[in-house]
Amino acid sequence: MSYPEYTHEKSRALFARATKVIPSGVYGHLGPAEGLFIPVSKWPMFSERAQGTYFWDVDGNKYIDYMCAYGPNVLGYNDPDVDAAALAQLKKGNCTTSPGSVMVDCAELLVDTVASADWVYFAKNGNDTTQIAAMTARAYTKRKKIIFFKGYYHGVSPWQAKKDYSGVLPEEVWNNIIVPWDDIPALEKVVEENKGEIAAIIAQPYDHGNFHDNAIMTRAFWAKVRKICDDEDIQLIIDDVRAGFRLDLAGSDHYFGFKADMICFCKALANGYNMSALCGRDHLKSAISGMNVTGSYWMSSVPFAACIANIEKMKKLNTPQLFDTLGTKLINGLKIAAKENGFDLVVSGMPSLFYLRVANDDDLYLHQEWIAECVSRGVFFASHHNHFINAALTDEDIKTTVEIAEDAFRAVKAHHPELA
Amino acid sequence: MTDAKTLAYINMFAVLGALENLCKLDEQAKNILSGTKPVSIGFDVKDGPKATLSFEDGNCLLTEGCADCDIRLPFASPEKFNGLIDGTVTPVPTKGFSKIGFLLKTFVPLTDRLSEVMRPSEEAMKDPAFFDLNTTLTFYVVTCAISQLGNHDPISTFSAQNIEDGDILMSIKNGPKAVIRAKDHVLTTLKDCEGTPRSVMEFGSMQLANDLFNDKVNSLACIGNGSITMKGMISMLDNMNRILDRVALYLA
Repeated sequence: MSYPEYTHEKSRALFARATKVIPSGVYGHLGPAEGLFIPVSKWPMFSERAQGTYFWDVDGNKYIDYMCAYGPNVLGYNDPDVDAAALAQLKKGNCTTSPGSVMVDCAELLVDTVASADWVYFAKNGNDTTQIAAMTARAYTKRKKIIFFKGYYHGVSPWQAKKDYSGVLPEEVWNNIIVPWDDIPALEKVVEENKGEIAAIIAQPYDHGNFHDNAIMTRAFWAKVRKICDDEDIQLIIDDVRAGFRLDLAGSDHYFGFKADMICFCKALANGYNMSALCGRDHLKSAISGMNVTGSYWMSSVPFAACIANIEKMKKLNTPQLFDTLGTKLINGLKIAAKENGFDLVVSGMPSLFYLRVANDDDLYLHQEWIAECVSRGVFFASHHNHFINAALTDEDIKTTVEIAEDAFRAVKAHHPELA
Repeated sequence: MTDAKTLAYINMFAVLGALENLCKLDEQAKNILSGTKPVSIGFDVKDGPKATLSFEDGNCLLTEGCADCDIRLPFASPEKFNGLIDGTVTPVPTKGFSKIGFLLKTFVPLTDRLSEVMRPSEEAMKDPAFFDLNTTLTFYVVTCAISQLGNHDPISTFSAQNIEDGDILMSIKNGPKAVIRAKDHVLTTLKDCEGTPRSVMEFGSMQLANDLFNDKVNSLACIGNGSITMKGMISMLDNMNRILDRVALYLA
């Protein structure tokens, strides 16, 4: 089946307006530069509306969305149960002088849900939680240094950056130590070399970094990391902002068989309502209580109500299992479509967070072309980032996705007679 | 936030290196060189770069090392060499006194012309040919500076450590091109070469490139409107762009 390519006149016009009043038009990961819209002509810039697993751009083009707003869309856009809970709370109160009682309900639900959680500290973005976790680790251990795994991304605060990032001072990252993933001897070596100086190890539950095939860590790896932390009184922070609740509703540390000292959640917490949560263990409760970190909207009630409804529905649907099933079906379909058209599609990471790479060349040219052909026919993929499954995705959507992917492969093949 | 030794490498291989292109592209430079005998000038910077500029048949070529030069200009430190480029230091040759006339009558006018092109008046830039010359030379200076920063600047070497082996092609549409070649995290710029690029970044026009070099437009906005295109191993471009960010710091 052939799918016509979309056009994006209104997106372009709106982007031109945006660049006059917003630096770079759309900055950050949703924008064309960081979002790697290659070539930019194939991508929409702005959406008009969204429902379930779809969004429509301002030109009226419909997309099956596998980026899910880069994670927050976990049940489907405009989920009726989550929205009803949020709207009911909105009528009662949202941003109030005394926080709503729903905050306590939400914290209790999270402590009951997340295996390693004894307490919850609410904020707004994933970056807030990784920042607070690092501060808590430093306050508790009275140490400076933090170990990161290579290719890390834990937010955009200067201490989380690298020394060559624009606007970051070398002094701000002096206490960062970077070790390779899945290399226990290297980790042991830096721990030994910095004995008594390391406050924390911060890591995602597996290497789901950008621009490379994702690598899943073993339970044995995490058991060794946990032991090193226990032996050296290092706090283990799991950044579950991206993967959280997509592998395991009890937390990705639970999925990999260990307990984090602190675990950071954001994206899948409230199905798009803006909140984040740092969960931690008892021994850190006093340290975090003594810190001065807060924000104007951190205790707003509407997202808490949405979060409760979202978590309850995720439990009811057993979303990690559902995502695994849907993701596996999709991956298998894409691989067959690739093979039948002479392409080598490498899929890595967990099925709920699959990462794609066309491997016929090792420079990503064909991969970027294929992704662009998919997007311009209505399947929103990204060429550099893992994807996300949401609960509104159906078998029919997967079938359509595979058909479009196949059409996109044919288009790439037509552009490259040398592949025949 | 800048390092004198890195600046010396930039001044040597990017700024003086632009004489290669000036002599090829500019009629005034060609006239200055016209009728001169082959001469080579060695720049010998203690604890810094060493290179030779060779002039022959109207062409100029910059090569690493200065063992076989006709005129040798020693500099006691990178700072002293940077002073030459700033115009605050006058070098004294230790070899080639008989060819000192070339230094005074040819090399100095050539470098003056280079300064005129690289630091133009607003009036001069109204001439389209001069505008293109300025943009082209700036392009070569910038692309050569990227490699020098990546190899010497304490911050940029970190970026270079994250660049995989391979060629990055930078170009201006219908204009100059250069390859930044990464091998074991050491960068080399090859002018007017397409190489076998693993990643590509192209500026859509000379005007756009000039505006970017002069910070008149935002590069991310240009990616958004399609006037800068990139493809391939974006992680290579990403790390190279972190170096590019620091070029302005050194060349300001």
